Amino acid sequence: MIDKIMIAFKSIGKNKNRNFLTMLGIIIGIACVIAILAVGDGFTKTMTKGMGTHNDKGRVTISFQSSSYDDVTSGLTQNDVSTLERVSGVDHVKLDSSNTAATAKIQYKTKRESTDLNKAPKHLKLYKGVGTTIDKSDMSNIFISHGLATRIFKGESALNKPLIIEGNVFIIRGIYKVSDFNYRPDIYVSKDVFKQLFANQITQNIARIYVQPDANKKTVGKQAVQQMKKFGEDKQMGSYSVSNPDQISKTFTKMLNYITYFVALVAGISLLIAGIGVMNVMYITVSERRKEIGIRRAFGATSNDIRSQFLIESVVLCVIGGLIGIICGYALVAVINAFLPFKAIVTGYSLAISLSVSTAVGLIFGFIPSNKAAQSPLVGLLKEE
Amino acid sequence: MLKISNVGKSYGQFKVLQDINLEVPEGEFLAIMGPSGSGKSTLINILGLLDQDYTGEYLLNDKNYKDTSDNLLSRIRGDQLGFVFQNFKLLTTYNVYENIEVPLVYSKTEQHNKLERVEDVIEQVGLAGKEKSRPSELSGGQQQRVAIARAIVNHPKLIIADEPTGALDTKTSKEIMDIFTKLNQAGTTIIMVTHDEEVAQYAMRTVYIRDGRLYHDAKDVFKND
Repeated sequence: MIDKIMIAFKSIGKNKNRNFLTMLGIIIGIACVIAILAVGDGFTKTMTKGMGTHNDKGRVTISFQSSSYDDVTSGLTQNDVSTLERVSGVDHVKLDSSNTAATAKIQYKTKRESTDLNKAPKHLKLYKGVGTTIDKSDMSNIFISHGLATRIFKGESALNKPLIIEGNVFIIRGIYKVSDFNYRPDIYVSKDVFKQLFANQITQNIARIYVQPDANKKTVGKQAVQQMKKFGEDKQMGSYSVSNPDQISKTFTKMLNYITYFVALVAGISLLIAGIGVMNVMYITVSERRKEIGIRRAFGATSNDIRSQFLIESVVLCVIGGLIGIICGYALVAVINAFLPFKAIVTGYSLAISLSVSTAVGLIFGFIPSNKAAQSPLVGLLKEE
Repeated sequence: MLKISNVGKSYGQFKVLQDINLEVPEGEFLAIMGPSGSGKSTLINILGLLDQDYTGEYLLNDKNYKDTSDNLLSRIRGDQLGFVFQNFKLLTTYNVYENIEVPLVYSKTEQHNKLERVEDVIEQVGLAGKEKSRPSELSGGQQQRVAIARAIVNHPKLIIADEPTGALDTKTSKEIMDIFTKLNQAGTTIIMVTHDEEVAQYAMRTVYIRDGRLYHDAKDVFKND
């Protein structure tokens, strides 16, 4: 086997230019596969992150919708949890909030508006300003979005300017950009400030009901909503409903499937063309090396040895093309990332797919020429000069 | 070593070989002489198990390989036979070492044994120091030495040589024939096709082919003219 691989490298090296041109099809095909899979994976990751976890197996979610837009206090309570846990088939219940930010009134000079606000994440990439996190030693430090800075400061530099939030003065220490795909509030304050001034705004309005293994999710959800309509503490302030993330998942999966079909089509066409190129070059190789085949057969090579020799050459040619394609794919992904609003990611499985596809192209398109080489009559081969 | 009885071969109506009967004992050095187109090469292709499309019977070491599978024939060629061709038939992109190594690739010889065996035969044919040379960098005589080294690297019992001196000058031919003589003296059976009477004199026995018929004595060749 090692001998045959070495012979394959030698043969490929003998016609570098011709083989490189043959590999070009594979290189382009695999680079496209890597790039498109990376975009698909990056898109999936971003969407999944944005939508939260969708692992709803054995779980049903009840949400409370307040009837008044200004009502920020109504929601679900511990008494509601007790009520829900009495529903048949319920194992346990956890409360959660769909609100990812608090709302605050802000003012700069005479300019006022109401905007979203939250505690700062551990790391935040700033567009202007120093560092990636809010300095906890000074509670007046805040970061604001580029959008808010433009709206409030109108071309003036917002950095180190004061901003009044709910009557308290804060200093803007950093400005960050918000992409179209990732929600961020307009203001980040320190964790302590958020806890003291805004945490009470985040009402728990979601109940995650974990159902028992033998219980029916749909029935449990229906009964839970009925119970909350009868006994919910804030039943007068709003309505209860079963949220159905399965539907969102289905739509999302459908969209991803379309992307996958598109990837398969693009990759399939480019690799089919590449495969035909490989088959062509293998036919030429077999014709050129009839004398060598004859010599090898005379000195003990079986038909199978000859067949496997040319198949290995075809596979090695495609795998080299595949590896170069992967490197080009990485470069392509880097270029794409400069223009995309989310980050395309090359995953291990896309590398495995690329190498498997390269090998398969080599095997499929190399088989007929290799078989031709193996079946050539020996006496005729030895007459070749 | 080998025995053929009533062997014949035709291409359509044209009979290339007719009623060939020949026995070669182990250790013999046999020369087959005849003009171009007489059927010499066809005969040695049959003897070398390269061509199985013939009539009659051929026994190699008392075994008939007529209906043997192609794969097994390849193994027998690799293990028991060695070929030396007229135009050397070396692989031009391989160096001397790699050319000689070819039969060992298919005999599943261990890598360290390969090195030893190739070095041994290179020494034997007087090409020490030329291991890395390409065939194009060698003289005709040196190329034929490489071909002989390749033929003997698997220690075959029988060497079949087709016009081994056909492309060489007299002096080089003598050197090549000396190598064959030594191999024969060491116990290897040799069957050599040649049209050169001087070269044939190195053999223990010479048979003649004309128009597809084998004659054991030169006097018989032109008897029917």
